[in-house]
Amino acid sequence: MNCTSIDLKEYFFGETAAGERRLVEEHLHACAVCRDELERLRQTKAALLSVREEEVPRRIAFVSDKVFEPRWYQRFWRSTPRLGFASAALLALAIFAHAPWFQPAPQPPRQAGADPSAVEARIRQEVAGRIDAAVRQALAESETRQQQKTAELVRAAEQRLAIEHRADLLAVQENFDVLRKRMSVLYTASADLGARQ
Amino acid sequence: MIFREVEDRDLVVKARRGDVDAYNLLVSRWERRVFNYILRLVGDREDAMDLSQEAFLKAYQNLGKLDDAGRFAPWLFRIAHNEAFSLLRRNRPESEELVDQAPPAPGRRMLPVETSLAVAGALNRLSREQREAVELKVYQGFKFEEMAAILDLPVSTVKSRLYTAIEILKDALAPVGIREKS
Repeated sequence: MNCTSIDLKEYFFGETAAGERRLVEEHLHACAVCRDELERLRQTKAALLSVREEEVPRRIAFVSDKVFEPRWYQRFWRSTPRLGFASAALLALAIFAHAPWFQPAPQPPRQAGADPSAVEARIRQEVAGRIDAAVRQALAESETRQQQKTAELVRAAEQRLAIEHRADLLAVQENFDVLRKRMSVLYTASADLGARQ
Repeated sequence: MIFREVEDRDLVVKARRGDVDAYNLLVSRWERRVFNYILRLVGDREDAMDLSQEAFLKAYQNLGKLDDAGRFAPWLFRIAHNEAFSLLRRNRPESEELVDQAPPAPGRRMLPVETSLAVAGALNRLSREQREAVELKVYQGFKFEEMAAILDLPVSTVKSRLYTAIEILKDALAPVGIREKS
C-alpha cells in the first residue's frame, strides 16, 4: 500500500473498513509524509471544533393539538398491542377450528418421587442466574461505552494541549527575537553615544 | 456515543401514537444541533430559529412517513436541509454571502476569538454545499451514507465535496509552517 492508494481522509473520519484500516495504519507507521498529513487533518478538525455552538434563542416545544392527534383506530393500528391482539385472535381461531378433531392425549403416570418444591427451587435458581447474567452483561456494556467516551475525551484534550503547546513555543520564540532586536538597538545606540563622547 | 436510557426510536414510536411529551423530548435532544446546522447555512439567528421550528413541526406532522424509526436524525436533518435551502433560494444568490476573510498569519498562536474568526473566514471560503458537507460530517458526526440520505446525493459526490472542503480548510487552519519542528 502506498500514499496514493490509501484514502487518508476516509481513515481520519473513521469510515475505513476494519481490514483496510490495519493496512493504512501499517503504511502510516512507515510514511512520515502521511503522518504529517494526518496531523494537519487533526489540527483542522480541532480548530473547527474549538468554535462553540450557539445556544438556541428560544426553546422549541409542542402542545397537544386535536388536529394532529391520530384517531382511535389509527392509534390502535400503530400500537404495539395490536400484534398481541392479532396473535390472540389467530390462536383462538385455530383452537376453535381444530376442536372437533381434537383427542386428548393419554396422561403419563405421575412420577412417584417428583417433589414440586424441589422443581420450584430449581426454576427460581435458574431464573435468578439468568437475571444476574443479564445484569452483568448490561453493566459490562455500559462500562465499555463509558471507557470509550473517556478515552475519546482524553485524546481530544491531549491534541488541544499539543496544539497550544506548539503555539506557546512559537510565541516565546517571537518574543525572544523581539527582545534580541531591542538589545541590539540599545547596544548600537550606546556605542554611538560612546563614540560621540 | 452517549448512552441514552430511552432511544430516539422508542420516542418516535410513542410520538406516532400521539404522545406529544415524547416528541418534545426528541425536540429537546436535537433542537440545538438542528439550530446550529441551519444557522451555519443561513447565517441569521432569527431565520435559523424560525426554520428550526418549521423543521420540527414538519417532522411531527410527517412522522408516519418515516420508514425506519431508528433513522430519525438523518430524516430530521433532511427536512432541515430542505427548509434552509428553500429560504436561501428565495432570498440570496450564492455569490452574495461569500466574504473572504483572511485568517491570521500562520506561525503564531491564535487567541480564542482569533480562532473563531479564522474558522469563520475559512468556512466562508467554501461553497454553500461544501460548507454543509463539513457541517454534517465534522460538527454533526453523520456517516457518509447518512449524509448521502440527507443531501439526496450519491456517497461518491458527498465524499468529493467534503474532501475538497477539507483541503481548503486545512490550508487555512493548519498550514505546513505551523507544525512543530522535531
